[in-house]
Amino acid sequence: MSVIFKRDLLAYFRTPVGYVFIGVFLGLSGLIFYLYNLQYLSGDLLTFLSQLTLLVMLLCPLLTMRLLCEERQRRTDQLLLTSAVPVGSIVLGKYLAAASVMLLTILLTNVYTLIIAICGKVYMGEWFVGYLGFILQSLGFLAIDLFVSSFAKNQITGAVAAFGVNFLLWMADLVADHLPFAWMQETLHFLSLYDRYEPFRLGQLSFSGVLFFISFIACCVAATVHVMDARRFSEGGAA
Amino acid sequence: MIEIRHVSRRYGSVQALNDVSLHVKKGSILGLLGQNGAGKTTLLNVLTGYLAPTKGQVLIGGHDPLLEPAQAKRRLGYLPENPPLYDEMTVREYLRFASELKGVVGKFIPAHVDEVMAFCGLTEMQNRLLGHLSKGYRQRAGLAQALCGDPDVLVLDEPTVGLDPKQITEIRALIRQLAHNHTIVFSSHILSEVQQLCDHVVILDRGEVKLDASMAEVSQSDGAAVRCTVCAPESRFVSRVRDLDGVRRVTVQPCDQPDHTELLIEFSDDAQPEKRLFALMSSMGVPVVHLSRSESSLEQIFLDVISR
Repeated sequence: MSVIFKRDLLAYFRTPVGYVFIGVFLGLSGLIFYLYNLQYLSGDLLTFLSQLTLLVMLLCPLLTMRLLCEERQRRTDQLLLTSAVPVGSIVLGKYLAAASVMLLTILLTNVYTLIIAICGKVYMGEWFVGYLGFILQSLGFLAIDLFVSSFAKNQITGAVAAFGVNFLLWMADLVADHLPFAWMQETLHFLSLYDRYEPFRLGQLSFSGVLFFISFIACCVAATVHVMDARRFSEGGAA
Repeated sequence: MIEIRHVSRRYGSVQALNDVSLHVKKGSILGLLGQNGAGKTTLLNVLTGYLAPTKGQVLIGGHDPLLEPAQAKRRLGYLPENPPLYDEMTVREYLRFASELKGVVGKFIPAHVDEVMAFCGLTEMQNRLLGHLSKGYRQRAGLAQALCGDPDVLVLDEPTVGLDPKQITEIRALIRQLAHNHTIVFSSHILSEVQQLCDHVVILDRGEVKLDASMAEVSQSDGAAVRCTVCAPESRFVSRVRDLDGVRRVTVQPCDQPDHTELLIEFSDDAQPEKRLFALMSSMGVPVVHLSRSESSLEQIFLDVISR
């Protein structure tokens, strides 16, 4: 697994993808920080982090689109899938590489925490809970986007499909209350990454939320492994 | 070393492989021949575990790549038709990565990579990005990747396709060297290449094995064959040619010229068949436009198999 992790992490920074992701994320989060915090002289870190969810939804596909689709497009998956490394380790290595870039980016957003700390006061408990929820939610998005992109044959399709799913999750949250059956509403709310983040946004440490996000990530990674394995049986190819 | 047992593979409604069974002995070079779409790449992909067969089983050194992937794949090096290269990596980084994938122990990797690069003539290019390499060097890097981990079995899918004549010669020389201590399966549609390099040949056509023979058997089945183009309609002379002494088979080949006929005539002996044929044509007053010995026995067999 570590060999895949190292290669994919290196690839993010050998190509513009890693820099573009970090640059755009930090640029836009800086704009949000200016509009919501600096303009109103607010030290509300939790609201600021909840606004960043939108950025994660938009930019996550940029990280995941290359992980499996690019391998398939360039046919380098033939190297990986004919090696002695198990498919589970390949998928996990790739996920962890994307997660590392995401964590690095989130770590860098602490420059705004620093500004708040200089100009006002940061409550450490609030900071911890806010960032824990935000990190778990972001990793959840990465996992579902990785799963979605495992179906795509090229990067653009993978990115658009992943964005579509993120958007659907967001919409699902909105439409859940308008659905006719209670079980449908409950299911959508249960699966909603936005609903699960809500306690963290309010500064509450939700253990059920933590458990949900970890389980959600594990399920998405396992499902991606299954898709990759099943492709050996279903894949069309050059005769 | 390699056992392919009744392997079939479907792509939806397309039957890419149909009940293919092969046995490759340790240390031999098997050449897989076939037209485009015959199923060569599919067979190699199934052999390496990249694809699963719809039916049947593959064993590499007694291990099934689907059921015991680690044991089977550690013995295997695969160069697909398009070398699986990461353009953003240097040659050295890439081969290091490939060695790690193959399970080479960390402290031995630098020396192993040096050895593989030296063998494939890549040492000078070791710090170049793969994306900046020429087609020939990319092919070498792909071959070097297949050699990482020192596998017993090498599977090479059209290793010389798209290369210039010099590069083709170089890659063939590398394969020849590798044959000393590896079992090699390689696909090609260049007949002369298979004839030069292989000791066993398999011809695939529409997913089925049409010929599975050693190169010695192919050579023995030879006799002689003559290609003959004449300026006359087929009906005027073909029956007389068939009656000629020593003629085993006469095949009318497709010909571009409307008033010409091209024949491939197989003789059971090698006693100056051109002379006998020319004498016959002269006696009938049929103008001979071209007369030559068919280049290889494999070519006759191949044409015969795919035209059936």
